Amino acid sequence: MVSDRVRRNLASEFRSSVLAKLGVVLVLLVVFVAIFAPFVAPHNPTTQDLDNAERPPLGIVQTEERTTSEMVDGEVQTVTETVTIRPDAAHPLGTDGLGRDMLSRVIYGARTSLIVGVLGTVLAATVGVPIGLIAGYYRGRIDDGLMRFADVSLAFPSLVLAIALIGLWGRASVAVPDPFVAAGFAQEMPATFVLPGTVIVVVGVVNWVWFARIARGEALSLRDQEYVKAARALGADDGRIIAGHVLPNAITPIIVLGTVQVAAIILLESSLSFLGFSGTTLSWGFDISQGRDYVSSGQWWIAGMPGLAIMVAVIGINLIGDWLRDALDPGIQGEGGA
Amino acid sequence: MSQGRFIAKRVLQGVGVVWGVVSIVFLLRFITPGSAINAVAPLDADRETRQAIARELGLNQPLHVQYGDYLVSLLQGDMGFSYVRGQEVTTLVFSKLPATVELAVAATVVAIGLSIPLGVVSATRRNQPVDWLATLFSLAGISTPNFWLGIMLILVLAVQLGIFQTSGRAVAAVEVAAAVVGPASFVKTLRLWLAHITLPAVALGTYFTALVTRLTRSGMLDELGKPYVRAARAKGLPEAVVRYKHALRNTLIPVITVLGLQLGTLIGGAVITEAVFSWPGLGTLVIRSINLRDWPVLQGSLIVIGTSFVLVNILVDVVYSSLDPRVVND
Repeated sequence: MVSDRVRRNLASEFRSSVLAKLGVVLVLLVVFVAIFAPFVAPHNPTTQDLDNAERPPLGIVQTEERTTSEMVDGEVQTVTETVTIRPDAAHPLGTDGLGRDMLSRVIYGARTSLIVGVLGTVLAATVGVPIGLIAGYYRGRIDDGLMRFADVSLAFPSLVLAIALIGLWGRASVAVPDPFVAAGFAQEMPATFVLPGTVIVVVGVVNWVWFARIARGEALSLRDQEYVKAARALGADDGRIIAGHVLPNAITPIIVLGTVQVAAIILLESSLSFLGFSGTTLSWGFDISQGRDYVSSGQWWIAGMPGLAIMVAVIGINLIGDWLRDALDPGIQGEGGA
Repeated sequence: MSQGRFIAKRVLQGVGVVWGVVSIVFLLRFITPGSAINAVAPLDADRETRQAIARELGLNQPLHVQYGDYLVSLLQGDMGFSYVRGQEVTTLVFSKLPATVELAVAATVVAIGLSIPLGVVSATRRNQPVDWLATLFSLAGISTPNFWLGIMLILVLAVQLGIFQTSGRAVAAVEVAAAVVGPASFVKTLRLWLAHITLPAVALGTYFTALVTRLTRSGMLDELGKPYVRAARAKGLPEAVVRYKHALRNTLIPVITVLGLQLGTLIGGAVITEAVFSWPGLGTLVIRSINLRDWPVLQGSLIVIGTSFVLVNILVDVVYSSLDPRVVND
């Protein structure tokens, strides 16, 4: 499906672009820690340690005013003392309000974000691409219907539609056994991983229209190509033409869109978990919502670290998206491809 | 096609889309596990109570009758009553709408005010430090969750430095305008308004600033390479005229369309920004109505949000058609 020319463009664009290389490095890093989380994380991300709560990240010393009251000779005396909290090398990114290790939580949060981002995108593409191809290929009523429906769904902001659907359907999640822990490795790590099922379905439902629109546009321009006409003249049936000739030639812009969608869905997932509409408590957005309560008392890292993690992941994916777009630019390549 | 007919056609299409929005919102209630009765009835309600509630809400009618009733009352501006507050949904939604519109407009003003100059400078000084900075900023801007940015802004500029307020909305923009002629101190009102709206507007506007910077930069680079720019330079036009009168004008046309289409993202972003800053708008209302299972309020809010999207996009098309008369003939 990928021609030599496309491959050459990708390679030369990659060689000349620092940003493309940075993007690949960032995404590989996030994918690596997400997959091997039980080995990479220094602690179990759910283990609480109240004696070690609110510890700052390495290099930061936090001073805090603590007020205690005690009874002295029948009178209440309030004593305010300044407490210095030093970082602990065991918790490089500090700990949250319950003493859970932030680095480990950030690492496990990568799993949630990536799984929702990738599965949500795959779901949206699986629904959207066939519908778009069929609408663009046959035109007429199917096409009109699809475009009107697309207009209507675009009128709902994806975040609003997503929280409305989750509000109506409830938030179901599935606990999946962690394969590494099940195989006997890293026994101190969580044995199961919570997959936010409803969230994945909802982000797919909310985003399929983008794939349908782009697939439709491609099918519209491809249906009148000589080779498609030739295939039709040779008696190939429509299903075969769409799958064998139209789809392969429409795949480039779909891949570019898919990349951008993974980033968009990661941001959407974090918004949903921030608002409490996820099904998991091990996610960057959820940690930011927890950390929000500590902002006024100065423990910025509890909300800060997961936010930086989101930025790293999304910047990486967007850089790859830019690289693919520059290398595969559908505008320039036109009908080329296979 | 004349521009008048073009606008008429767009309005008609818009009516169709709004009808679709209303129909989907109506149907949402029926894909809910647990009907509307559960939201209203006491937990220990017996069969008769439940039937009485169903009668009162019209839920015992066939679907098409309910749908017809719903459309008729919508046309009369009646979106039903809140299950929880017993207030009219229309009143409730429209009392929250101005705050959200104000926030969205402020964010758009921030975004347009920063992004277009930044994009132009970036394109005209390509591969210079200022271009690199703008590229980096716009990359970070489209990759940062706005709610997180909001929290970090609160941390630094409100909690630590105390320049802005952490949450809430003290005065409306209208009150600031009224203070110009009214008895209230204008400067005081303006400062109070700015202290509350600046951070949420920046948090919400950053994504759009970044997006439009990218669009303006690449659009300008595109336009500056075109033959008409070379021709304009060749006939000795000052560089400023070439850049701003010719190239920038053509760059802005697609930017306007994108801004219209991104309005959904802006409203979605406003929902979460409102949650961060306790901004008393439509977003706060949507989240509360979902948490309280107050479906009529949710439905009303969705209809108002969907309709605003359609209205703004018609407006965008009208502006677009006067900037670029070619679209009228498409």
